[in-house]
Amino acid sequence: MQTPFGHNHERGAVVELTPEQQAVLDGARGPYLAKLMRWLVAWGEAMGARRLVRVDNTHALLPVPNLMARGASRETVEQYVAELREACSYRTAPGCYCTVHTAFVTLDPLDVPENDPEQVRLQKELAELAAQAGFIPTFTCAPYLVGNVPLKGEICAWTESSAVVYANSILGARTVRHGNESAIAASLLGWVPEFGVMLEENRKGTLRVEVTAHLDSTTDWGALGYFAGKRAGLGIPVFHGVRRPTQDEAKQLCAALATSGGVSMCHIVGVTPEAPTLEAAFHGAVPKDFVLFDDQALRETYASLRNHTGDEIDSVILGCPHASIREIAEIASLLRGKRVAKGVRLWVDAARATKASADAMGFTGVIEDAGGRILCDTCPTNMRIPARRIVTHGFKQAHYARSMTGAEVIVAETGPCIRAALAGRWLGDD
Amino acid sequence: MTETFEIRGKGLVGGRAAGEALVADTTLSFWGEFDAVTGRVIGVGHPLEGQCLAGRVLIIRSTKGSSATPMMLRLAALEGKAPAALVNLEVDSLAALGCIVNGIPLLTELAENPFEKVRTGDYVIVDADEGLLRVIRPA
Repeated sequence: MQTPFGHNHERGAVVELTPEQQAVLDGARGPYLAKLMRWLVAWGEAMGARRLVRVDNTHALLPVPNLMARGASRETVEQYVAELREACSYRTAPGCYCTVHTAFVTLDPLDVPENDPEQVRLQKELAELAAQAGFIPTFTCAPYLVGNVPLKGEICAWTESSAVVYANSILGARTVRHGNESAIAASLLGWVPEFGVMLEENRKGTLRVEVTAHLDSTTDWGALGYFAGKRAGLGIPVFHGVRRPTQDEAKQLCAALATSGGVSMCHIVGVTPEAPTLEAAFHGAVPKDFVLFDDQALRETYASLRNHTGDEIDSVILGCPHASIREIAEIASLLRGKRVAKGVRLWVDAARATKASADAMGFTGVIEDAGGRILCDTCPTNMRIPARRIVTHGFKQAHYARSMTGAEVIVAETGPCIRAALAGRWLGDD
Repeated sequence: MTETFEIRGKGLVGGRAAGEALVADTTLSFWGEFDAVTGRVIGVGHPLEGQCLAGRVLIIRSTKGSSATPMMLRLAALEGKAPAALVNLEVDSLAALGCIVNGIPLLTELAENPFEKVRTGDYVIVDADEGLLRVIRPA
């Protein structure tokens, strides 16, 4: 249904339940699962679902929340953790592949006060409970880099806004934007309400983006996403005129789209499985109007996330979303035999599984010898580390870090980020 | 003389709530742009930067951004700093979920443009069961 002031799908529909689903709702499996069922049904009704369907794959959020609720009462934190403990006292649905999103602390020792040992202890306890419940505690924002790679058409319930866009747009899987509670409910019950981009008719493009800008680096793709997300809102942008991105470039594009906007999916014409052509991306009705992303728009988008008033830097953050092994190899090659400037924190954020590979391949040693480190399970923005001026190659990291840490930010390609780390100051792009 | 009027809408998450309206034609990610303990918008350069959402009726275009929006609404609710109700022109699944879990009424599909009709500071009653936004503007 189209309203005068927004584009909404039909809502308020009745969700038809199977007898098995109805029994859970009525309490046959206890009050907790009945409550989760009520949430899923209410959510489905609000969003226009007609039924609950079997879910194949989930990515849930199970964090100790202290850092997100800095200064909160003890009761708030205990209540929140108690709710996660309760969820982890059940089993995940048989056959459902369930992984876990990032935490707000790293489980490794780290000499910053934000990595409070008490929170680490609680997070380890939750990780253990989650594993016993059937969740695989990957603690990453990029599950598709560490084995959770859904197939085309696979029904998913994923948290992490960037991973949702990646799953729909690059892999052709189907997931709406899930929150903590719905992903946990889906994991334990094995069903999700079917609405939004889970349905074929809701996967057509809503905004045509013609790209003439020269996208030369991974970060340039983040700029494209940051530009388009702002204009697409909750819609589906269609990118036309771009070459095929690398996996890392696609990761940046998807993350930025869900930062400036609330995008669930995009089409990259010729790349997205269901968008071989512009016509296919729009289900036949290609709009004449489009927004243009040219070289000037590219430059302006970078400038919009550079609010530094000086050149001295104290933090260089790479791996947002979590770095792939290829990115870690590239960073190691740029750092080999060099030394990060004194007083500069160079962190490469990655999933623990990716770091284990980097350890075995020798990349971790090269990065550590240069004075950097690979940070697992979380990221500096999640940890809300104190920083004064941050250089990062992720548009998402830059956008959120300036608000959550209060730091000034400079978004730049990986090469200039590393040069800044070595010099201790921002030296410009070239 | 106080001025009162109504705008019809559709309640997606039921319930009634009232409070001071906070109105902006903008989007918001509760994770990263909102502090659940102070109830304030912390997004640098955000049109609502510094505004406290606690107990107010937030009238914006939609939520956006992070999937941790429901989590932040949960933490804010536990801290007593959640908005009283949400009025959204377009509905992000994350706003709907956060409202359901925390019992926050959510109204959408308004018959008139709230960014022209409703002002920050108006006292508004959201009746998501009846699908109504009642606006009471002090003289």
